[in-house]
Amino acid sequence: VDAAFRSDLARWVEVQQGAGLDFYSDGLLRWQDIFRPLVESLGIKPHTLVRWFDTNTFFREPEFSSLPSPSGGISIPFPSAGSSIPSPSGGGQGGGLISDGSVPSPRVSTFPSPFMFSRAARTSLDRNRLMVALAESVLRPVIDAAVKAGSELIHLEEPWLGYYGIAKQDWAPLRDALEAVRGKQGATLALHVYFGDAGPHLDQLRTLPVDAIGVDLIETDVATLGGGWDKGLVAGVMNGRQSLVESASSIVEVAGHLADTLRPPALYLTSNCELGFLPTSVAERKVQRLGEAANKVKELVSV
Amino acid sequence: VSTALDHKPLLTHEVGSLDKPGWRVKAYAGKPLSERDLEEARSWGEQLVVPDYQRLLDLLGHGNFSKEQKAEIQRWSSLYALRLEETAGLDVVYDGEQQRTEMYDWAVKHANGFERRGSVRAFDNKYYTKAAVVAPISLASPYHNAEFSYLVSVADAELKVPVTGAYTIADWSFDERNALDTDLRAPAAERRRRRHEARRDFVLQVARNLIRPNLQALIGLGARWIQVDEPGASTEPDELDLFVDSFNASVEGLDAIFSTHLCFSDYNLFFPAIERMSQCRQFAVGFANYDSRELGTSDEARPGYQVIKKFRDLPYKPALGLGVLDIHSDFIESPELVRDRVLYAVKVFGDPARIHVTPDCGLRTRSWRVAFDKLRSMTAGVQLARQELRI
Repeated sequence: VDAAFRSDLARWVEVQQGAGLDFYSDGLLRWQDIFRPLVESLGIKPHTLVRWFDTNTFFREPEFSSLPSPSGGISIPFPSAGSSIPSPSGGGQGGGLISDGSVPSPRVSTFPSPFMFSRAARTSLDRNRLMVALAESVLRPVIDAAVKAGSELIHLEEPWLGYYGIAKQDWAPLRDALEAVRGKQGATLALHVYFGDAGPHLDQLRTLPVDAIGVDLIETDVATLGGGWDKGLVAGVMNGRQSLVESASSIVEVAGHLADTLRPPALYLTSNCELGFLPTSVAERKVQRLGEAANKVKELVSV
Repeated sequence: VSTALDHKPLLTHEVGSLDKPGWRVKAYAGKPLSERDLEEARSWGEQLVVPDYQRLLDLLGHGNFSKEQKAEIQRWSSLYALRLEETAGLDVVYDGEQQRTEMYDWAVKHANGFERRGSVRAFDNKYYTKAAVVAPISLASPYHNAEFSYLVSVADAELKVPVTGAYTIADWSFDERNALDTDLRAPAAERRRRRHEARRDFVLQVARNLIRPNLQALIGLGARWIQVDEPGASTEPDELDLFVDSFNASVEGLDAIFSTHLCFSDYNLFFPAIERMSQCRQFAVGFANYDSRELGTSDEARPGYQVIKKFRDLPYKPALGLGVLDIHSDFIESPELVRDRVLYAVKVFGDPARIHVTPDCGLRTRSWRVAFDKLRSMTAGVQLARQELRI
């Protein structure tokens, strides 16, 4: 099994390199869902299967009967930098939590946003307190470890906010949680809202302590993004839930439009959501097309 | 069937799939069988008292199976699964879908208009193969006739045919007929509206042109109870009306008893939409996955079953197929736990004739040993409930 994982990871890296991407991901190939290695590293065995939003994919609910604490001891299987083999990050509890050395730099590491983590959990605890505790005691040490291992971009998945929205009183705790996640780790921190229209939340999103905000442009109207962005924009320009591969020209057009009208300090082109809903061959073709389009955009805007 | 469905209190049945035995999978794939595979065929044949199972052992000993021999091995697998369910004491049975590749793939494979695209994850490290619709949809050939005809000839218990529903087939497929999001600068609301229109057309094409003619073929062979499996039904909460429309388009006016299987969803989402599914005589719904393993018949003891009140109050008074076995765990529910789940449901419904007892879903992710033990525990639990209720 380890050999199969190594082979799949090598292939995935090769596809990203061939596409000319600017950041390389391990594709979370060892993660059975976005919470699993984190939860297992806390010594919790998740049980109940729950639908992942409106997809035919299911995750096991993280269960918290008490707040995770800094002394609670998340166990991070830490691969040695430069290691070309996945062990000890591979297999077992918390397997693959940190990208191994075979993923080239610059790397992007993906984790759940603290808001989504706290909302998707099964708990009777106050969810905002849980959110901050997860940020401080789970995400922060793991992100620190990822940065130490070479990650330069930390990508926080936030479909909960996109799909279900957020109550007014939850913005302040989310801000606290993101401050805790951010720490002094030094990598670029992006919060990617997807599976919904980010438009109604943009005023608040743009004040959060992150370096970049991600939007799902399948669901979000570009006209609502406004202008004069002072944060990076992670633009979800490829549909991770549709097997038809977008044309490079359609991506170039919308990316050029975003660059011209929003003028963000950094524009990241990516899929609107994770690519795990696509067969591997389709995902690979999308990544190749994304790289092709990004190169054209760079030529056009002289990045 | 109609009499049993309407009047037997606490009727028991399976939901659909069972794991495929190693000897069936390897023989069909042309792979060599191990001693363990042969022993599995022997020991289950003996335990389930499968008639003439020695003939299967002789057949498996040959190797290099012809197409006809592979079909025969599949029928043996069906017979074993049927006997497993009958031996466990179920009132209504099928064959654990032994002759199908998988609930989605099997249907799509027999349809025109689809092309396979590859595998995607469902949960943990379990994957399924997805296809894309690329052309008008139609039935290439009826795809449950052969298995049904065989099972009718060998079953002792009543049969219920599980058939994957239109909404789930559409939801688990990609739609490549039209590129709808080619210009992301276009207003999102307009793009969303076009997606919804295309989706509705897709789902109803599957219902009218694939599912309905396949059901008609089954009914023509004498199928009386057909369970429309819709595990994907609540995937899109704003499409529950479309799911209901697809069910009605599939079954309206057909002469059979229809039920629906729903699982792993927030079942509250189905209301009020399913109030329009009046031709659905029973909803088989998974609850155990969400429930406590503690004994008791109070609301507090049965957190996974709180939503059943809504099924009770449906205007056309369908039965509820009460899922009492967690199919994602090897935990064997005790007869007492099954009993308490059943008694709770009877208390809520006030009528044991409206409660049927089932696993949460198909048991294909469990070994036959675990599946058998779970089903036996289920029927034993129903006996305890019957004693308690004096019925």
